[in-house]
Order: sequence, then C-alpha cells, then structure tokens
Amino acid sequence: MKKVIGLACFFGFSCQALEVTVKDTLGQPLAGAAVWLEGGLWSVEPSSLLKKYNMGQKDRNFIPHVLIIPQEAQVEFPNFDSILHHVYSFSEPKAFELKLYRDKPQAPIKFTQSGVVELGCNIHDWMLGYILVVNSGVYGLTDKQGKIDLPLNPEQLGSVNLHVWHERFEDLDKPESQVLTIKDVSQKVQYQLKQPLLEKFDFLTDETDGY
Amino acid sequence: MDIKNGKIWALYLLPWLAYQASAFEGQLHGTVEISAHERGEQTSWTSGGWGMSRFGKHSDGLNVSRATLEGRLDLSSAWSGHAVAQYVPDPSHKLGFTEAYLSYQPLAKRYQFRSRIGAFYPRMSLENPALAWSSPYTYQYSALNAWIGEEVRTFGAEFELKRPARRFRSKYDMSFLGAIYKGNDPAGTLLAWRGFAPHDRQSVINERIQFAPLYALRAPQLAQQGQFVEPFSEVDGRFGYYVGTHVEYLKKHTLRLYWYDNNGDPSVLNQKTRQYAWDTKFWNIAWRSKLSRQTQFIMQAMFGNTAMGERRGVDNDFNSWFVMFSHTWQRYRISARVEHSKVIDKDIWQFDPNASQTNSVTVNLKKQLSAHWQVGAEWQYLDTQASFRPPVGRDENAYENLWRLTAKYQF
Repeated sequence: MKKVIGLACFFGFSCQALEVTVKDTLGQPLAGAAVWLEGGLWSVEPSSLLKKYNMGQKDRNFIPHVLIIPQEAQVEFPNFDSILHHVYSFSEPKAFELKLYRDKPQAPIKFTQSGVVELGCNIHDWMLGYILVVNSGVYGLTDKQGKIDLPLNPEQLGSVNLHVWHERFEDLDKPESQVLTIKDVSQKVQYQLKQPLLEKFDFLTDETDGY
Repeated sequence: MDIKNGKIWALYLLPWLAYQASAFEGQLHGTVEISAHERGEQTSWTSGGWGMSRFGKHSDGLNVSRATLEGRLDLSSAWSGHAVAQYVPDPSHKLGFTEAYLSYQPLAKRYQFRSRIGAFYPRMSLENPALAWSSPYTYQYSALNAWIGEEVRTFGAEFELKRPARRFRSKYDMSFLGAIYKGNDPAGTLLAWRGFAPHDRQSVINERIQFAPLYALRAPQLAQQGQFVEPFSEVDGRFGYYVGTHVEYLKKHTLRLYWYDNNGDPSVLNQKTRQYAWDTKFWNIAWRSKLSRQTQFIMQAMFGNTAMGERRGVDNDFNSWFVMFSHTWQRYRISARVEHSKVIDKDIWQFDPNASQTNSVTVNLKKQLSAHWQVGAEWQYLDTQASFRPPVGRDENAYENLWRLTAKYQF
C-alpha cells in the first residue's frame, strides 16, 4: 500500500496530506489564510523547534507577511534593507521591540504563548506583519486557489480542531474553528468562513515613502 | 538663536554624538556626486555674479557637486540624534551641517506622536525625500524647493500627531504638524534680489550667500544691507511658526499643506551682520499621485509675501509652481519637470525693482548601475526675466541651456 502511495506522490497526486480549501462567505477561494490542526496527535514535534524561523524586512516590507510558527519556536528578524527598522509588537502573546540595523542581527526571540503577534515598524508605519504562534505541528497558508496541503501520516487520523485565521478578520485574536474527523490521509476538506472579511487594502509604497 | 550660538550648537552636536556612538547604536549613510557641467556664461550668484545657474563661468567644469554624510544615533527607544553634513565646491569648498536635531518618537499602539528639536527642514517638499534632502528625480530641484533649501530651515521644535492608516485599519494616513522657531528672519532676501532659480545647492547652518551687486544697494535706504544673505540668522528676537497637515490615501495619493510665517519684524536691522528681518509668509501645497508602481506625478505650489524695511520699502508677492512626471523601468528612471515662478514688486521704492520671472524645463535620465553607483544626465532650459538687471545695463531677459552628467556613489 505504501508503495502505491509513494508512486502516486511521484506522479504528483495528492497524498498523505489533508487538502483544505478555504472560501469566504461568498464562496470565493481565499488566499493567505492560516490553517492549523490542534489536538494530541497533531501537536508540536520537538524537531520543529530546532528549525530557524525568519521574519525579514526587505524593501520596507515584512517578508513573509504572515509567518506561522509552533509554540516555543524562536524567530530571527534579519534586515535586508540598508536602513534601520524599529520593529515592535504590543500583542498579548509577545510584546517586544527591536532596533534592527543591516548586518547587525539581534538575538532571536522565543514565542512561548500561542496567539497572533502583530508587527509594526516605528519608522515606516505602513509596514505590517503577523506571526501566528500555534499549538500545533500541522499548519500552513492557503495559496491563490485557497488551498493548503497539510502533510499527515497514517497515524494522524481522528477527530481534530481545524483552525482558520485571516488578517482581514474583524477580531484578529479570534480564529475560526471547526471540529473535523480525519478518516483518510488524502482527505479533502472545504471550509467556508463564518464571518465576512474586512475590505482589502492595497498600499502602494516605494523607496520615496517615509519622508 | 543667533549666529554665534548656532555655530557653537552645530560644532558641538556631532562630536558629542560621535562620542556617544561607543555607547549607543547608529547608522551612517552618505553620497558623493561627481559632475561634469556645461557652465553658465555669467558668474554664478554664489560668487556674487549675475548668473542664474549654480555653476557659472568661474566654476570648474568637473567637480564634486555635492558630498553628504547623514548620521543617526539611537539614544533610547524613543530618542535619536540626527545630523547631515555637506560639502559643496561652490563658491569656495564649503563644509557644514544642513540639519542637526534630536527626534523623539515613542512607540505607540494607535496615534503616533513625534517631535524634532534642533535644525531641520520642514517637510513641505515631496520632491526631496532621498538621503540628505536630495531628490531621487532630478539633480537640480525645482526653484521652489531650491529656495526652501537655501533660505528656509527650522531652528526650533516641531510637533506632529499622526493617525497612521495601518494602525487604524484605514485607507487614510492623517497628520497635523506645528513648529515654533527662531533664526529664519532674512528668508525672502534672495527672492527679492536674485529671484527664483532651480538648483541643488542647499545652505548649511550659519552660511552667508552672495548675490549680484545690485544698483539698489547703492541707495541710502539700503546702505545698511549687505550684498549677501545670512538666511538662518536671528534679527528681531521673535518666534516664527508653521502649521501643516499631511494626508495620504493608500500611499498612492499624498497631499501636504503648510502655512509658514517667520513672524519677522521688517523694521529691525542687525547692523553688525547687515541683515534685516523680513516678514515672510507663504502657503505651500504639494501633491503626489502614483499612477502605478512605475509612474508618478508630483506637483507643488507656493504663494506668499515677503517684506523688509520700516515702511515695508521692499514688499513683494511671490508664487511658484511645478509639475513633474517620473517613470521607472528596469534600472532606469526618467523624470521631466516644468515650472514657473514669479516675484511681483508691490512697493513704491522705484530705485529697487524686484519683479522677476523664472521658467524652466528639466529632463533627467538616470541608471542605477549597482547598489552603490548611479549615473545620469540632465538637461535644463532656464529662462529668466529680472527687472533689477537693466539698472546696471544688463538685459532683462536671460536664457540658458545647461547640461550635467553625474556619477553618484551612495552607501
């Protein structure tokens, strides 16, 4: 059986992954939604805490815009711009500030409490980024088609809490949740948001902003 | 702040900041611009001549047109020290500070408060957002901003309250600013006795700028006035102020509106420095629209009045505007600017005509070669009409076609 799955994976079929498609209240696929599974079988693996997580700043933007990390992970904040960034958070799970000069990296920050950490820059006030600290080992962000494949192994079947979060939620501290039963490692799930999203803002910034 | 105090202030701030650098963190950026020019036929006003272009017949054809160092030192989370040092070759290798101030900007969840204390530019221009108040668009600034660069500077404190769009999940950034200052009393002198001129020579703190030997300065009424301006000197002991507002929509459209009044007492003369206080006030409105990631329009207009003398013997209205288009593709940026400026003589002193007009078209093409190097070419057509030239037997009208090639290194 494993060989068959392996072969199917080789040919690009979805396998050993829970495919979640997130749609908004109008039924349109939603990109950039954070999805994670919470429950005993899907908890944080110790090895994932050794991984390096980065929230960089490039061209006066946070990259990535949204970073999902497992609880207890450490995040570095490399500055790829030639100018100073003054990164801060007032969020409940972790309040901090860092003055980040190019080529002068600061010590990584450990996020011990789950929740949403909203990042800003005190010098470039349009810069906005999010770190989602999740109590989960299975998570990801949806693509343009609103899809995310959450890799699973055959032992991870059962009843689980599926959480969905998006930056255009009215209350950023309240992800949506649903109890889900995973019966199959290649199961496909559709999730429709319960709340309408706030309007999407496309800020147009360049190197001449900030003066 | 008088000249002496201002000099002491500027001289001590940077070494102090440098000393503190061992204990605090900071950053240093700088530029060097090497330029080849087509020189004007006349001697430039910076050398006391009648030329309206920055580099006249006595300038070098190849020079370091400007070099700058901009330092920032972080003293605490909210406090930082800033200084901009500048070298220009004209008229005779001038080194000094264009800005030196402390900034207070505490972290804020919602409304942002910011204050600057020291010597700095009011942020009226949307043309000068680059390092050391330079322009990323053209080498030579519009006449309007060139005048701000040579005669307008805040020596005092500015306070700003901002409602940043992102923190309020809004499309609009809004901010209100106000400042009180001293030491900007002679601002307006160059408008009366040289007129508007597009160029890129910024004045440093405590600088003395020459202009041409006008016929009017021979008159007894103006016998006390030097053939120069010290634009940042204090003459009447009074505070000036400005208020302004910035509004931005999704960072695509930007509006800046300012009212500036140096509150000068035109009857006061400093006999030692031979400078009058000028009563100078103006509106400044700047607008920028980004049509796309590549293309933008910038417009700016200024209108106001400046006067000196006990009975406002020199009394001039002035206005200036420009429209600029800029487009980037790959590593290139092309910018084109059209501008018109006018000084209207309102007083009854017939011996001192001040009316002038300046029209100019500037086209610039730049290429970014690497992270540090950029090269570019600029052409400027400059057409001026000045009523103070005929009394000394010169043509009222003057035309110049100016080319400049510049290689710029930035770190």
